[in-house]
Amino acid sequence: MSENIKKLNDIFVEVFGEVSDRLGDDFSKENVDEWDSVHQLNIVSLIEDNFDLMLDPEDIVACTSYNASKDILRKYDVEI
Amino acid sequence: MAFWRIKNVRIAGVAACVPKNIVRTSDIELFTPEEAETFDKTVGIKQRRIAPADVCASDMCQAASERLLSELGWKKESVDALIFESVTGDYRTPPTACLLQDRMGLSENCFCLDLPMGCCGCMYAMTVAGNLLQAGTIKRALLLVGDTALRMGSMKDKSRVPLFGDAGTAMALEYDENAKPVVIEFHTDGSGYKALMTPHGGFRHPFTAESLVEEDFGHGIVRAPMHTLIEGMSVFSFAISKPPRSVQDFMEREGIDKDQDIDYFLIHQANKLIVDRVVKKLKLPLDKVPYNLEEFGNLGGASIPSLMVTRLRERLQSDNPTRLLCSSFGLGLSWGTMFLDVQRLVIPELIEI
Repeated sequence: MSENIKKLNDIFVEVFGEVSDRLGDDFSKENVDEWDSVHQLNIVSLIEDNFDLMLDPEDIVACTSYNASKDILRKYDVEI
Repeated sequence: MAFWRIKNVRIAGVAACVPKNIVRTSDIELFTPEEAETFDKTVGIKQRRIAPADVCASDMCQAASERLLSELGWKKESVDALIFESVTGDYRTPPTACLLQDRMGLSENCFCLDLPMGCCGCMYAMTVAGNLLQAGTIKRALLLVGDTALRMGSMKDKSRVPLFGDAGTAMALEYDENAKPVVIEFHTDGSGYKALMTPHGGFRHPFTAESLVEEDFGHGIVRAPMHTLIEGMSVFSFAISKPPRSVQDFMEREGIDKDQDIDYFLIHQANKLIVDRVVKKLKLPLDKVPYNLEEFGNLGGASIPSLMVTRLRERLQSDNPTRLLCSSFGLGLSWGTMFLDVQRLVIPELIEI
């Protein structure tokens, strides 16, 4: 597991609790009942703090799944 | 461009009134203790004041303005205009400003107007009152800005219940040829209206039995069409993009150096995530950005006057001139920027009812 994937997984664990085993294609707003706007904004804030980024508004809105968060990081040239 | 440089108008004072009842996030039944803790940390609103059902925004505004008039030594018959800005007026009709004219014992010669403009309410009221006053044909105006926003929505809507607090504020404006200009700029994007709206109860969709039918939208959101809704992510995305850009353009156009020319930046206290981001985008010095959302929540249009009362009272009462740059955003969608240069304001202590 790359260091950046570990950092991202730690963010999801911090926001949703012990979900390491569930982080994959299905971990999304549609499938995770706790995933409300507060959780989403919390993920975004932690991604920004931990990866030293400032996401564009459209990326914040699009950050609705674990996979989407990886795509967004790639968009900001984070190797993941 | 919707832009004004209002001359000859002085802000004489500002007052705020809140209910005594404090509701902490952990008191809200929709949240588990863990969720309440996360909410406090992330959204930053740890408590809010909530009025009892028989207290309206107009009651709190009235209490604030009565105290302000008394401390200013203004006679009630000297008030030429009263503007009541709220989306939670007493009745659909008549205008609450007219009711307040009677309840407060203001003159029959007083011009009274309701403005239902939401979170930019203070700026809208300043724009209207400032333009009414600057010609000098009327001399004094009261701007009453307040809301009881919680009760507009569903009490089963986790995305909305914890955000708002109740308050009523009053600002006193006076014709004064020596006053420094008030500079205001506004923008509107009506295409985003669905992000903050109350679907039923107007004349597009009048109130019917269907207005009461609740729907479960998941993620802790249960509401009916009569309830006000908030699309959190759309509002967030709007609030962190357009308002800061406008503040930047405003400062460039007015030749304002944010480090030298402004004493405080008053940003609408929507929530900590939004305000922090606006601060970060504009690279504002933190010690110049007062917050009160942790204590009072989102107070809608009353946010900016409430900051003046609860966080800057001593400074604004002093002989030192204070230059304020204000940014508001909300319903419509609408957003605005306002520059004020004030001193020796009369500011009563925060009133609790």
